[in-house]
Amino acid sequence: MITFPLRFRELDSNRLLFSNEAGRSFIGSRSFLDRYVHDSLCESDKAFLSENGLAIDDADKLGALGYLTTLAARLPVQKQIDYLILVPTLRCNLSCSYCQVSRASENAKGFDWSDDTTHKAISFLKNLPISSHIKIEFQGGEPLLRTDILDKVMREVSKERPDSSFVICSNLSNLGPEQIKLFQEYNVVLSTSLDGPAETHKHNRTKNEGATRRFLDNLDRFRDLFDGERISALPTIDLTDPPSTESLLDSYDALGITSIYLRPVNHQGFARKRGLGLDDALSSWLDYYRKAVDEIIHRNSQRSKNLLEEYSLTLAIKRILRPGIDNNVDLRNPAPLGLDYLVIDYDGKIYPTDEARMLGRIGRIDLSLGRIGGELNYERIRDLNSQSFNNIDPDCQHCVYQPYCGSDVVDDLSRYGRIDIPRHDTYFCRRQTDLFDLATSLLCSKDLHVLHSLCAWLNLPELPDQIIPVHNDTA
Amino acid sequence: MIPLRIRIDIEGPHRGKRVIKLVSDLAKEVLTSPSLTSGNCAELVATFPSERVFKWGDHYIRIKGNAEDEIVGDVCLFNFEKGYADRLIRGNSKHNTLVVTEQCDQLCIMCSQPPKKTHHDQFHELYHACLLADSGKIIGISGGEPTLYKEELFSLIKDVNKQRPDLQFHILTNAQHFSVDDLEYLKSFRGNVLWAVPLYAAHPVIHDTIVAKAGAYERLLASLSLLVQAGAQVELRTVVMQQNISELPDIAKVIKTHLPFIQHWAIMQLENIGFARNRWSKTFFDHSIDFSGIAAAAAYTLASGIETRFFNFPLCTIPPAWRPYAEQTISDWKQRFDTPCLNCSVQEQCGGFFEWHPSARSYEAWGEI
Repeated sequence: MITFPLRFRELDSNRLLFSNEAGRSFIGSRSFLDRYVHDSLCESDKAFLSENGLAIDDADKLGALGYLTTLAARLPVQKQIDYLILVPTLRCNLSCSYCQVSRASENAKGFDWSDDTTHKAISFLKNLPISSHIKIEFQGGEPLLRTDILDKVMREVSKERPDSSFVICSNLSNLGPEQIKLFQEYNVVLSTSLDGPAETHKHNRTKNEGATRRFLDNLDRFRDLFDGERISALPTIDLTDPPSTESLLDSYDALGITSIYLRPVNHQGFARKRGLGLDDALSSWLDYYRKAVDEIIHRNSQRSKNLLEEYSLTLAIKRILRPGIDNNVDLRNPAPLGLDYLVIDYDGKIYPTDEARMLGRIGRIDLSLGRIGGELNYERIRDLNSQSFNNIDPDCQHCVYQPYCGSDVVDDLSRYGRIDIPRHDTYFCRRQTDLFDLATSLLCSKDLHVLHSLCAWLNLPELPDQIIPVHNDTA
Repeated sequence: MIPLRIRIDIEGPHRGKRVIKLVSDLAKEVLTSPSLTSGNCAELVATFPSERVFKWGDHYIRIKGNAEDEIVGDVCLFNFEKGYADRLIRGNSKHNTLVVTEQCDQLCIMCSQPPKKTHHDQFHELYHACLLADSGKIIGISGGEPTLYKEELFSLIKDVNKQRPDLQFHILTNAQHFSVDDLEYLKSFRGNVLWAVPLYAAHPVIHDTIVAKAGAYERLLASLSLLVQAGAQVELRTVVMQQNISELPDIAKVIKTHLPFIQHWAIMQLENIGFARNRWSKTFFDHSIDFSGIAAAAAYTLASGIETRFFNFPLCTIPPAWRPYAEQTISDWKQRFDTPCLNCSVQEQCGGFFEWHPSARSYEAWGEI
C-alpha cells in the first residue's frame, strides 16, 4: 500500500487536519499522527486512508489514476490571455483617503489613453491568440470620465468577439445619459465601491454631503434602471476607522447584495503612507474579518433565502473541497503572471497585475512588461513566474493548506522588496493561513447555524454527514 | 406516444433499403448542408389530413399517418418491400438513439431491453443516416451492447467524425470490451463522444450479481482506467434498486477517490419494462418514501464538486430542494404524463413517467405541485 505523504496542522489539543498534495484531507488524532510518523499504522488506519483515497493498493490502477486526476486538477495549465484590465484614464473626480492607484486629479493633463494608445489597444484585443470571447475590466482613475474610449473599445471588441463581457469599475459620481447608454448597449456590469454606511463612505471617499448624496442617488437609480441586476459592490475597509460590522452588513442588506467581498485597504498608493504598521494591520484585519463572518452566519440563521456570503471565504471553502476552482486571480495556484491576464495602464504600459501598476506608479519597482504595440518582455515574465506557484516553496511544501492556497509575488515585492523571505513571515501567508483556519473550523462545525450558511455558500440542498472525513480511531 | 416507425407507399418496384432525409425545401437546405442531394433527400410536395407526399428523385413517396406528426427533418431508413420507414434521427427531437445490436454479454436483472441472440448489421445504413443529421446533433448509440461490434462501431464514429465533426455521440456501453489497443481510438474520439457507463455497486459481488456476469466489476474498472487515460468523457450511471440502495454512499466515495474525472454521475430510476416489469416488486425502490440515502450520496459528490443528477425522477416524488437536480431524461417518444400531471405547475420542467409505467401508482407519494 502507498500512503501519499501527509502534512498536518493542529486544530485543537487532540484534533489535527491532515492533507496531501492533491488536497485530499481528513481530521485525525494525535495518536494517529504518532503512528503515522513512526510508520506503525494499524489496520483501521489503513482502511480509513484507503477508503478516502489517501492511500492505495499497489494493484489499484484506477485509484492511482483517480489520485493523479485530482492532483492535476489542482495544477491547472496556463491558459491564453482572456482577461484584461484597462485603465483608459488615471484621472478621478474623487480623492479617496486610501487611493491605492495614486490617482491624478480630474483636470490633470496627460493621464488618459492617447488616440494612438486606444488604437493599438483595440487592435491588441482583437488579435489576441484566443479564439473565443474575452473579459475586460475597466479600471481607473474613474473610467466613466472617458465614455468615448469605453464605447469604442466595447464596440470594436464585441464586433470581433461577440460573447465578450465587460465590467466598469466606477465610483458612480456621475451617471448621466452618456454613462447609462453604455450599460444599455453592451454586455457590461457595474462594479462600484460602497464602504458601508453613508458616514463611512463620506469619510473615506466622497468627503462631503453633496457628493455622498449624489453617489447614493446614482446607486438607487442604477438599480431601478436595471432591476437590481448588473451591479456588484464591494467595500474597502480602512482599519484605522472601520465601520461596525453590523452597519457594514446593513448597508449591503439594504441594497439586496448578498455576496460581499471584504478587503482591507491594500498596501498600495496613498495607503502606504498612512495607517497601521504591518503587524497591527494584520491582526486588526483578522479580528474584524472574523467578526464580520460571525455576523453573516448570525444573520443567515434567521433567513431561508437571500443568505449572505463573504466572497473570499466561500472561495477558500470551495478550493478546499473542489479541485479545479481556479478562476479568481487573487487566489489560485499556479498564479501565473503576464500569461493569462494583463493590465494596460493609462500611458500604454503593460503590467502583469493591477497591483503591479500601482507599484510602478510610486516608483517602488518597475514590473512593466512592455508597451502596447510593442513586444512583451518574456524574460521578465519568466523571472516573475519562477515563484508564481507554491508547490516547491520550502515552507509551502509542508503546509496543510498548500493545495488550496496560492502565491502573491507582487505583494511580497511590494511589502518586502524581495520574494525569498520565509513564507510564514509574509502578510500574504499569514492572512491566508488565518482564512483557511477559519474555513476549516467552519467545515468541521456541528453548529446548525454554521451548517445552514455552508449549505448556501456551497449551493447544496443539504450537506453530507462529514464534509471533511473524520478518522475516529480508538487504537 | 410518438411513432418511431411510419407506413409508406411508393409507386413502382423498389427493392432494398435506403436512408433518406425528409425535407421541406431541398434547394434551401443544400445551401447550408452540401452533402444533401436529390438522391438522399425527399422533398415535401403535398400535405393531406392522413398522408403526406414527398418527391424523391423522380418518384413520389406517400407517408401515412397524422399530418400533425413532425416528420420533416427526420432521417429515415426506408424499407420499400415491407412498406415502412424507421425514423432513425428525428429532426425535432433531442432523443435519438441508434440501436447497433441487440446482443449483450450481460443480463442485468432490470434490463429494459432484454438482449436477443441474433444480430442484424445496419452499420452501413447508420453511417449514411449520421451524415444526413442536422448540424450539431447529439446522436445516441445503444444496444444491446454496442462494443460487441467494436471494430464496426469505432469505424462508424471515425468515419462520421471525419465528415461531420459537428456531431456528438452519446454511447451507452457496459465497458466490458475495451483493451489497451483501443487507446488511440478512444483518444481520437474524446471531443465527440460521451461514454455512458453503468456502475451499480462499490462492491464487486453486488455489481456482478446485478449484471449477472462474474468478473464484470473488475473488467469495468479496468476499462474506466483506459477511458481516463484516453481523456475520454464519461457519464457514470447508477440505476437505483432495492439491490443497491445501500451501496450509494460507497459508490459516492469510489467516485471521489477513483473516478473524479467523470463528467457527471447520473442516479437513475427504474424503467417498468423488459426484465424489470416482472421483477418490479423485488427491484423497484420507491424513493418517494425514503429519499435520504440518495440525498446523502448526492450531497457527498456534489460537495466534492462532482456534477450529480437524477434521471427519470418525476419532480413531485423528490424533496423540493433536490428538484433542480432532476433532469428531463425520459425520451420524448416514451414520455407520459398522468391525469394529476395535467394541472401541475411544473409539468414543463418535469420528465414525467415512462409510457409503460403502471399508472404511476408505484410511487407512494406523488401528485401535482
